[in-house]
Amino acid sequence: MLDADVEVDRRAFTVRIALQVAPGERLALFGPSGAGKTTLLEVIAGLVPPRRGHIELGGRVLTSTAPPVRAVPPWQRRVGLLRQDPGLFPHLSVRDNLCYAPSATPSDAELSSLAALLGIESLLAAMPARLSGGQAHRVALGRLLLAHCDMLLLDEPYTGLDASLRRTLTQQVGSLVTERSVPAILVTHELVDAQAFADRLAVLDRGELLQVGAPDEVVLRPASRRVAELVGYLGFVPSSEIVAGVHPERVIPGAFGDRGLVLTGVVKACRPAGAGWEADLSIGDAAATCRLPDKPPASGGELVVTVLDPPYFGVDGRALSAVPRLSPRR
Amino acid sequence: MSWAASPAAAAGGAVRGDEPPGPRRPTGRGRFAEGSLRLRSVSAFVSVAGTGIIWLALLGPVIALLSHLSWSAIAKSLTAPGALDPLVISVESGLVTLGVLFAVCTPLAWMLARGKLPFPRVWETGVLCSLLLPPLVIGLLLVFMVGPYTPIGGLLADLHQSATNTFLALVIAEVYESAPYYVLGAQSAFASVEPRLEQQAGLLGDRPRRVFRRVTLPLAAPGLAMSLSIAWARAMGAFGAVIIIAYNPMGIPLQIYTTLQETGLASALPYALVLLVVALPLPLAAYIWSARAGRRRRG
Repeated sequence: MLDADVEVDRRAFTVRIALQVAPGERLALFGPSGAGKTTLLEVIAGLVPPRRGHIELGGRVLTSTAPPVRAVPPWQRRVGLLRQDPGLFPHLSVRDNLCYAPSATPSDAELSSLAALLGIESLLAAMPARLSGGQAHRVALGRLLLAHCDMLLLDEPYTGLDASLRRTLTQQVGSLVTERSVPAILVTHELVDAQAFADRLAVLDRGELLQVGAPDEVVLRPASRRVAELVGYLGFVPSSEIVAGVHPERVIPGAFGDRGLVLTGVVKACRPAGAGWEADLSIGDAAATCRLPDKPPASGGELVVTVLDPPYFGVDGRALSAVPRLSPRR
Repeated sequence: MSWAASPAAAAGGAVRGDEPPGPRRPTGRGRFAEGSLRLRSVSAFVSVAGTGIIWLALLGPVIALLSHLSWSAIAKSLTAPGALDPLVISVESGLVTLGVLFAVCTPLAWMLARGKLPFPRVWETGVLCSLLLPPLVIGLLLVFMVGPYTPIGGLLADLHQSATNTFLALVIAEVYESAPYYVLGAQSAFASVEPRLEQQAGLLGDRPRRVFRRVTLPLAAPGLAMSLSIAWARAMGAFGAVIIIAYNPMGIPLQIYTTLQETGLASALPYALVLLVVALPLPLAAYIWSARAGRRRRG
């Protein structure tokens, strides 16, 4: 169990985060670049001292700025950190890299079963310079697993790898975390990666946790307009005092009043997007972007769409818990 | 759009298919390419030849040395009684100098490379100063620093030591002449080690000292070996500072100088060969070893 409550000063703002991660739980920290995600991981790993805070991992106090003051050095924390750069030691073979940690004393059978699990069994004698990006990441992950860390911190480890490889590696890490029942935190600015990995999704912006919840709940029921913007809502359609959030992927063509909010808009622009189309609509003074399976009418044409069960926000930007009934508007 | 593009692509494929297999017939363009190839090979020849001349010119002194030596002269001067004593002195003082440099200057170089010191520019300028001082001036200044009438000289006298015309003085002179070469080389060797790797080793459970031994040192080793061997060559050939504070005991450079003064050019040459033979192997070995380490790392 990780229990962290820290404050770290950054140049523009202060990172204030309190969170718990249970053993075997996978938490994804999602947020824009510069939100303080990496800072939090570095504080947990002991690389950056917090201004104020308390970090406890599996009953061990790692950091405490209140008496009794404690700052366990990184090499005694047993916290594994995987970054975008796998950081393999170039002068050691793959085998020596895997067994680098003083606590890593695997038997030959253990080593070869882990290598087989990660698909690197034929590379044990190779030098890191010979490995592809994906292979290097697998070796780095294996090295962390053999080090018997009490916690895994993944700092956008798979940025720069292609999508399918990213998916495989993310799933591999996920199942290994569950198997070992250690807490794990993945930092990413890709929502899909975060959702594929996590049991719980935390949205971070300018050093503050805006919302923590199930990976689907955060996207379908954002707690505030800012969270909605971060998770991909591209349109906010006002209606008297309140605003409905429109996620491009939550729009279907046609009027289905029982499934959500029916909008009539004018097509401003449209372009192909994947296997379908993306259209910019203007609805009164507001604008919204939606994904459609069929090509929408040309610019200037009228289009009726239904936004499936949209979230509503009050004037203060907070989400409304009771979903109001709205009449179709144009 | 896509339909319109496909027949064109198919037609292009057919045209390519009609071409006979085998080497292409030279077209106008091809002949021009051949001509420019010939031109290019002429310019390539000129540039290789030019580089060769520069290389030979740089090696000129060594070639001159080898072409002016006769084996009988070497045998005669090297078998004279006491002729090889300076060699022993030079090797001994050189080894002690290397030991001192490695022990004292390695931590300094590491601190400089990792930016652990306040006002790093000031520190670097200090190292550069000692590099830029002419050896003769270093010798003069060393007299004022460790000579018999200075506080340090007095301290040494209390310990029944002296830094004038002693083995200690020779080592001091050699250290001052070679230290900046080692410090600057070692600094860049350490700077080339990724701090992220040291951080990762720490997170895997290694204390800083262990990280230094298992990651920093092995990764910096080829660069360290190169700069240590350059320092060795400087120490072996140290003359300017040595002639002022350590005329005795006599190492090879001074032996060459005094032989030159007393009996002339021809009899000094064999000692020049000895100096080269002693000073060169270590740098060459270091070069070969670091090239091997690089190849091993590339897998």
